[in-house]
Amino acid sequence: MGLFILRRLGVMLLTALCLTFIVFFLTNLSPNLEKLAKTQGNFRMTDAQVESFLRDRGYLQPTIVKYGQWLGVTPGWVIEGRDGTVRSKCFGELETGDLPEGETNLCGVLQGNWGYSTVFRDDVGEIIATRLALTGKLMFWVMLVMVPGALVIGVLAGMREGSRTDRSLSTVSILTTATPEYVSGVVFIAVFASSAVGLRWFNGSATSAMEQATFVNFTLPVMTIALYGMGYIARMTRASMTEVMTAQYIRTARLKGVSFRNIVLKHALRNALIAPFTVIMLQFPWLLNGVVIVETIFNYKGFGWTLVQAAGNNDIELLLGVSVVSVFVVLVTQLLSDIGYVYLNPRIRIS
Amino acid sequence: MIRQTLTGGPVHPAARIHARDALAGKLDRREFMARTTALGLTAAGASALIGLSAPALAQSAAAPRRGGTLRMQMEVRQLKDPRTFDWSEMAWVASGWLEYLVEYNNDGSFTPMLLESWEVSDDAMHYTLNVRPGVSWNDGTPFTAEDVAFNIRNWCQRDAEGNSMAGRFAVIIDDATGEAMDGAIEVVDDLTVRLNLPAPDITLIAGMGDYPACIVPQDYDPADILSTQKGTGPYLNVEHAIGVRSVLVRNEDHDWWGYAAGKGAWLDRIEFIDYGQDPVSWLAAAEAGEVDLVYESVGDFIDLFDALGWTRREVVSGATIVIRPNQLAEVDGMRPYADKRVRQALVKAVDNTVCLDLGYAARGVPADNHHVAPIHPEYAEVPRLPHDPAAALALLEEAGMADFEFELVSIDDDWRRNTTDAVAAQLRDAGFSVTRSVIPGSTFWNNWTTFPFSSTNWNHRPLGTQILGLAYRSGEPWNEFGFASDDFDSLLAEANAIADADARREVMARLQAILVEEGVTIQPYWRSLYRHHRPEVVGADMHIAYMPRLYRFGFAG
Amino acid sequence: MDPLTWTGALGVVLNPLLAIAAVAFVLSAVAQFVLSFAAPAPTLQAEADGTLARSPGLVGLADQAMKWSFGALILVLLAYLVGGIVMPYGEAGIVGAVSARFLPVWIALLATFALSIATKRSTGLYGKLFDSTIGMIGFGLVMFWVFTAVFVGLFDMIATHDPLQQIVAMKNEPPGTPVTGGPEGIFPHYLLGGDNLARDVFTRMVEGSVVVMQVAPVATVFAFMVGITLDLPAGYYGGRLDTVLSFLANLILAFPVILLFYLLVTPEIVQTGIPSYMAAVLFVFPLVFFAVLLNSRYYTRPGLRTPLLAVVLGLLFVLYFSLVNAAGSRIDIPGLGWLDLFDVPGGILVVFVSVVFVNSPTVFRIVRGLALDIKTRDYVAAAQTRGEGAWYIMLWEILPNARGPLIVDFCLRIGYTTILLGTLGFFGLGLPPESPDWGTTINDGRRLISVYPHPALPPAFALLTMVLGLNLLADGLREESLKD
Repeated sequence: MGLFILRRLGVMLLTALCLTFIVFFLTNLSPNLEKLAKTQGNFRMTDAQVESFLRDRGYLQPTIVKYGQWLGVTPGWVIEGRDGTVRSKCFGELETGDLPEGETNLCGVLQGNWGYSTVFRDDVGEIIATRLALTGKLMFWVMLVMVPGALVIGVLAGMREGSRTDRSLSTVSILTTATPEYVSGVVFIAVFASSAVGLRWFNGSATSAMEQATFVNFTLPVMTIALYGMGYIARMTRASMTEVMTAQYIRTARLKGVSFRNIVLKHALRNALIAPFTVIMLQFPWLLNGVVIVETIFNYKGFGWTLVQAAGNNDIELLLGVSVVSVFVVLVTQLLSDIGYVYLNPRIRIS
Repeated sequence: MIRQTLTGGPVHPAARIHARDALAGKLDRREFMARTTALGLTAAGASALIGLSAPALAQSAAAPRRGGTLRMQMEVRQLKDPRTFDWSEMAWVASGWLEYLVEYNNDGSFTPMLLESWEVSDDAMHYTLNVRPGVSWNDGTPFTAEDVAFNIRNWCQRDAEGNSMAGRFAVIIDDATGEAMDGAIEVVDDLTVRLNLPAPDITLIAGMGDYPACIVPQDYDPADILSTQKGTGPYLNVEHAIGVRSVLVRNEDHDWWGYAAGKGAWLDRIEFIDYGQDPVSWLAAAEAGEVDLVYESVGDFIDLFDALGWTRREVVSGATIVIRPNQLAEVDGMRPYADKRVRQALVKAVDNTVCLDLGYAARGVPADNHHVAPIHPEYAEVPRLPHDPAAALALLEEAGMADFEFELVSIDDDWRRNTTDAVAAQLRDAGFSVTRSVIPGSTFWNNWTTFPFSSTNWNHRPLGTQILGLAYRSGEPWNEFGFASDDFDSLLAEANAIADADARREVMARLQAILVEEGVTIQPYWRSLYRHHRPEVVGADMHIAYMPRLYRFGFAG
Repeated sequence: MDPLTWTGALGVVLNPLLAIAAVAFVLSAVAQFVLSFAAPAPTLQAEADGTLARSPGLVGLADQAMKWSFGALILVLLAYLVGGIVMPYGEAGIVGAVSARFLPVWIALLATFALSIATKRSTGLYGKLFDSTIGMIGFGLVMFWVFTAVFVGLFDMIATHDPLQQIVAMKNEPPGTPVTGGPEGIFPHYLLGGDNLARDVFTRMVEGSVVVMQVAPVATVFAFMVGITLDLPAGYYGGRLDTVLSFLANLILAFPVILLFYLLVTPEIVQTGIPSYMAAVLFVFPLVFFAVLLNSRYYTRPGLRTPLLAVVLGLLFVLYFSLVNAAGSRIDIPGLGWLDLFDVPGGILVVFVSVVFVNSPTVFRIVRGLALDIKTRDYVAAAQTRGEGAWYIMLWEILPNARGPLIVDFCLRIGYTTILLGTLGFFGLGLPPESPDWGTTINDGRRLISVYPHPALPPAFALLTMVLGLNLLADGLREESLKD
């Protein structure tokens, strides 16, 4: 087991390295850099000005060198600009032109320096921490609604396969999976939040939920994400439940005259929940998609919103930070789902 | 007896001529107000000249109570050197502690702020600026004529990157050095500055009322105005998170001059909350009770805000949109829009009323493609090229461009995008081949001047010549039309030197006719501007040029 | 012209009937649901004559009521549709007029169903689909949109106006408003109203199906070809090849889809030509796929193989070249313009490439799992003993036997791709801004949905039914294929 986790961690690291390099490469293509220079400097810059702007700030080094500097394995650049100022990656503008004594000229992710966001004018690490916490809050409530809801629906449907209850609940779960967030979110706002329909039970904007989440301002975003994921998990639970219900030991229990309620609660449920567990874990990366859409619709400034802002403005270091975090989430949940599966189901052996 | 001029001095002779014109019906009231207050008259004095009683105070009758927190929907942008501001929203935040010399009002008049008064000489070549006494910076030092002179010199640095104030003070900039001319800015005493112009120019006071003209201290840091926040205003910024929110709170340690002058500054705290560029989110925020007022309400959303029971504030303005080809832009190795026939074809194919109906929910008046508004003092009535799709197509064929694929670019928002879509549809109806691109706001402004064919919104400016100078003079940085004409430039210089309305209007008519005849742009309509707020908010009327006047905002007592 | 009401003259009779049927259905459904928990499960009782009788009880009663009211509901709904076709235009209201516009689709659907059910014993898995109600409903929904796209896209039927035509007076007008101020001789009503730019909502909805049908299934097919071509060898040979390819697939899977789109679909990246190059690489796979497929089967008969390969590959190459080569883009080989049959609009190509790119690794994973499983079967061993080549075994032994799960996944994946396309439209990425595709129209319509819900709801409904249909179809197929 230890070796298995170790190997998985190795693969994870390699994946993260490759992915960040891809993001790095794409964001450092010359049209993207030009866009960056013009937003940072001045949008009336000439081509020559753009070039000197980029050169003075270390953007025109070879991509692999820049990547090394971002990681913190190659020394940060020190460049004397055409305007005579000496700039360095790690220490900003150097007045004397020399690096400070006694400090290493390494300042990358490995040193804990995630860089500087060109859009928000703030430390990337700090931005991501704040935004991730907000999204964490959203996800916590989503999970709290989605998981029990999905499990109950799935178990009820799978309990008696082919019954009316099964059919109606299955249809409902298919319907929710077929409704993407950008449809359900919009319909929810129209029905429950706008003054036109007149219900106005909830808020159509979740901005105030960033500081204080209430039933009124947080219900719609949470429901929008939860509904979409719920159907899928419910169907998995149902499939797993129907399989368990036809298993030999359940049949034996029935023949022995154990009541239906006891069969479901005491014998079937535990085994039926193994498969949904892995599915729930694998849902995390999927949910990120929903988070981006919902945070955009409801103007909730979390991680998904940051992703859109960073990508839309080619904020290189913030985008890298965002991708590292999301890749990390994806891979960790995959690992957890594997470990959990093994743990819950002793019959499986890792080969 | 009311005071006629700000200084108490004699009335400028041109003002009496204007009054005669106004009484004779040659000059409408707002035009009269704009011209005479720019010459140093008080609003009341100007009104008296044409036999009207003093205009009702712009503030609502109910005096606001002191205190309260106001939450306002507004984009929160990165702050920079004030003279390089390119968004009014930046000025809204900065205006908490940085103030203006004068204030431009919705009725076209100018009110003194950090200046107590000004006088313009008869030939419009000498300005005397009298600094308001008793004003101090928030570190306690007094505000003096030296500070004013410093700011004007600062505005005149033409080569400072992105300094748009230089265009407004071009008349006193030395071409050779790119700085203010020697002797043009003269500090007479502690409270008096004199400007000596080499040529007459009547637009300087108007320039001082524009949003990048914040008065900064002499030791300000252009790279980071947030760090010290030295200014004369009543507020300080305590939080500025770009794209999220910005918060101003009352500076309790500062004795703001306006308290004594009865200006207000009622609120204790003002929060600007960023809801992006989509009006849907603004409306949602209003419905959810997360904000008390919006920066601006646009297009179809005006009715929706009305339905919320919010108070509507409206002002007729010279704000507009242009859908213009860039004559210098190259597409596939040629310059399609350098050909006058192509430009005329584009203009002729579009019915401006349709653009207004579809693009801005008919909340405005149709325009005639020459970017001088009927509410500008010097407006001359010049008709557009007639709307005639058949003739348009014929012109296009004559130019050999019938197969050309026009790519029409716009920003991704509500009314600008819709207006541009309406233009695209009309061009297609006329038989042109058009594709549309929509570019997100984050990247659109990076090269808004260089798109071959795109739409841009323009704000209102007090005088028609200001717009023509900013946007249509050859080689100006904001000349997105690629338009260059010596005739136009010399006529514009001529217009800027004429103080008399009728004489000036004749020149304007020729300028406008050039723009129409050259087919420089489609400029379909003049917008009325709207703002909505909760009924209990007072003093938050929409400003014609989006100027921040935070000290007036408050809650009804 | 008068404005149309929703149901016109038909409504007088049918609306009350519909209401009654609907209320009865809802009541009986609720009763059934509640009772199924409260009452004991139906018990079987042995009668004196030796037969078994099922006591219906309360549950059974509710069950019966639900069945009948549901039937009545369907009948009434059908009556609306048929009424619209039979009665003259305008008499049967908006519903009738819309139904009449869809006439070609109804005919095609009826023909398909009649033919399929008649021949269902001889058409394998496809025929079995018609044994499952769920499967049939799903198939019907999907085919409805497929036929709509075909008739709109190829024959210019169904749509009532030009999807980009703006008739100013019609801005935000409600459904059924007569057209005023447009050119002479056009369709007299905006059946589902006008949108914010005074375009016909109904037309844009049906035109949207064309965009979706152009991209979603084709992109999914491409994704499958890429996935299969890369992965059968990976699964079959295993070893290092498998490790490397699996790593790459997991790499792409670990990327948040939305980030990938933001990185690939921006104008700046398009400017560098990366999507064109990706298209050039990705679209080679179908060629490779067919070349290997045919070669492995017919290599023993060079006389047949060589001409066959030449014809098929020649055709495919022209298609490939037309797809990849576009005047003015990064890939524009001079002198070969005559070979370039058509140009795909830049935006569509980029979207297409991204969708294929995102979907391939998932397909890769599924096929790999199947290949690992199937390669241990006896018939594979038999083929190996016969001395068949590796590719023959992969493509002609393993692949056909994996078709069941693959078809099911194919259906689900088209649905997923449709949602993905909508997401792209929603974020304004890739597709042209005036495009009538469903994602874009939903996003445009949502701005004013609280006052004018009619522009946003039809495309949302279309997207929903399409994806729902694909899901039901996949369910039906899975059920039936499991019965084997």
